[in-house]
Amino acid sequence: MIKESKRQLNRFSQMDDNIAAKDRVVAWPRMGRIDIPLKALLVTLGAKIVIPPANSNEVLELGVKNSIEGICLPYKLNLANYIMALENGANTLMMFQAPGSCRLGNYTKMAQKTLQKMGYEFDMVIFDMYQSKMKQTVQAFWHVTRCLNPIRYIRGFGLGFTKFFAIDAAEKHLLYYRPREIKRGSAEACYKKWLNKIDETNSLFKFCFLFGRMKKDFAKIQIDKTRKVPIVYLLGEFFVLLDPYTNQNIEKELGEMGVEVQRQIMFSDWLAHVLTPSFLNKKESHRERCVRYAEKYMKRAIGGECIETIGDTVYAAKHGIDGVIHMMPFSCMPEIVSQNILSKVSKEENIPVLSLVFDEQTGKAGYMTRIEAFIDLIKRKKFVNDKKNIIEREEMIKC
Amino acid sequence: MGINTENKNLKRIGIPRAISYYNNYPFYFGFFKALGIDIVLSDKTTTKLINQGSQCVVSDTCLPIKVFVGHVINLLDKGCDTIFVPAIQSSAYKVNNCSKIRGLPEIIRNVINRPFRMIEPTLDKTENIGFKDFCKQIANEFDIYDESKIDSAIVEGWAVYNSFVKMTKSGLSFEEALNCSIEGHVITKNVEVVKPVSVVIMAHGYNLFDERISMRLIKKLEKMGVKVYTGLNVTREDCVNSIHALDEIQYWANELDLTGAAAYYMLHNKVDGIIALSAFGCGPDSLMVDEIQYHAQKRNMPMIHLTTDEHTGEAGFVTRIEAFVDMLVRRKRKMLENRNILQLNAGVQKNKVRDEKILTTSQR
Repeated sequence: MIKESKRQLNRFSQMDDNIAAKDRVVAWPRMGRIDIPLKALLVTLGAKIVIPPANSNEVLELGVKNSIEGICLPYKLNLANYIMALENGANTLMMFQAPGSCRLGNYTKMAQKTLQKMGYEFDMVIFDMYQSKMKQTVQAFWHVTRCLNPIRYIRGFGLGFTKFFAIDAAEKHLLYYRPREIKRGSAEACYKKWLNKIDETNSLFKFCFLFGRMKKDFAKIQIDKTRKVPIVYLLGEFFVLLDPYTNQNIEKELGEMGVEVQRQIMFSDWLAHVLTPSFLNKKESHRERCVRYAEKYMKRAIGGECIETIGDTVYAAKHGIDGVIHMMPFSCMPEIVSQNILSKVSKEENIPVLSLVFDEQTGKAGYMTRIEAFIDLIKRKKFVNDKKNIIEREEMIKC
Repeated sequence: MGINTENKNLKRIGIPRAISYYNNYPFYFGFFKALGIDIVLSDKTTTKLINQGSQCVVSDTCLPIKVFVGHVINLLDKGCDTIFVPAIQSSAYKVNNCSKIRGLPEIIRNVINRPFRMIEPTLDKTENIGFKDFCKQIANEFDIYDESKIDSAIVEGWAVYNSFVKMTKSGLSFEEALNCSIEGHVITKNVEVVKPVSVVIMAHGYNLFDERISMRLIKKLEKMGVKVYTGLNVTREDCVNSIHALDEIQYWANELDLTGAAAYYMLHNKVDGIIALSAFGCGPDSLMVDEIQYHAQKRNMPMIHLTTDEHTGEAGFVTRIEAFVDMLVRRKRKMLENRNILQLNAGVQKNKVRDEKILTTSQR
């Protein structure tokens, strides 16, 4: 009995010492812009890295070819990232394992087996968030780099976190300015410029000024303040939400339609919540807020981001948000449950909900038609109620 | 939801004939009987019932959940408005169930637009909600707070369950064992019929023993002269040990029916092939089948993966099973022929060949 429980506890720690620290070349799967902060962190700790190419149709094809049919989309992309990284000379793969309790917990095990079958030699380092948070993370980075200098750790983690926050701040500016800009593309250009700057800046001191300068730079973009902008909440499965390739760059499309997008969770919020010790979390976290709002519909958390989806929809309805777009990869188990519940939430809270299922099929037209129809519906719903501005309403629907 | 005080005094509970019915019904029967609560079972699964169920949920939902919703509607149509929907979250620390089974009460609550009362006990060992709390939650819903009464009811439940398990381990079919354990007597099979070809079916109980979902797979195989083993015939310990022997870990709570059974028979060399039966779009199954496929390939064991959904066409299903069984028979014949040649050539090895099992028998 003791043996069994011990086995269950240690089930994910499979770190090998067969590669010397100085020979290690580290790689990790891509999700959105996660590569910028991780690169800063690992380079500060003195590791060599390989960044796999950005997700694209070819990457997806490679992943689909080598994984089983029934597994979900994020795994296929992750596996392709690993293969490409190993082809480019990596020998250490990193992956986290969050307490999600859907198929995510099996990703590393399966990837390991598949890659070994394909004949690659590598070491997979897993941050197992099932057991502890910060300790596991530091341990994993120590295992990879064998860096003994504590100042480097402080500097590296500080830099990594700051970059996460800086990227999210830039994204928030982008989401605000994109639907309001007069010259199309100016906000996007500004965002790209600042992303490069964040990537290049490698001193914590410079970051003190970067946030303010970024804000000022975004404020220079000419915007139409009188434009009426409906607000749409994006929520759903974590990977699809954060990876622009997987979600067909829905944020950009919506922004260009003149819709302000608010995202359910920014990566840095999630990271801060996951990594900080629980006794320091005095503020109500995002998850606790969701549990509170979802109480009427769900009484227990069932794994994945299901309860967040429901809670955020109710939250959106109560805080004047005009519509919700719910995204998930095909055959995602927790999100199917939330999709079932959402139709009732939509009816009772009086908020329009559109569910989009993403899979390997990369045709964009089908999604665009549905999104356009949904946005028309939101605009009509929002502005028909204003009986004073009937003329304005008609203009709104026309554009 | 609308709760009538009259109904609360009636003490009647409707158990849908789906999901946890196929694993735990003997326990529920003994437990509710001892508490003095009448059980109303829903009808057996039919195509009409599945259609009713799938109208209520989104199309991506997997078949067993659609069937469950159909059974709940069937119970409501029968006039029973107290329905038992357990949320079995995890069976050990961080060994979770599939999200859809964990969220079963949430789905039922939000999908069915009729007034009814739901008994929704939670079993979650990760959060330290153990089995006794699970039973207490049920009893408290019926205004039973007497600890000793609940305890004796639990014992009663285990008694029925244990006799059920004893019978299935000795080789009785699910239906027979269930009926006998409910009637209160125990029959065990002492003699086991040996057949030339034997297979193990790895499938969840709610897929395999539901005759509509599995399209009577077991009966079809037995008609072809194949001996069928299922997860019911293996003890829990054997399942866990054989999963560990394959260097795997138990990740899902309901994994033992599948990987456990398949691993046990594969390791002990008792079967000639493995049949995996899963519902279309089942998340955990896609991983478990892949895991076993990996090991079966290593050990040169034939394996077939059958997927079922709402379709009613049996022809495609039958063709695949027949081809698989034909292949097994041919393979076995060839193997035996080779062995006979060996036997003639070297008479010394005679005993050794005998020791190895040529025909699969029950050696427990």
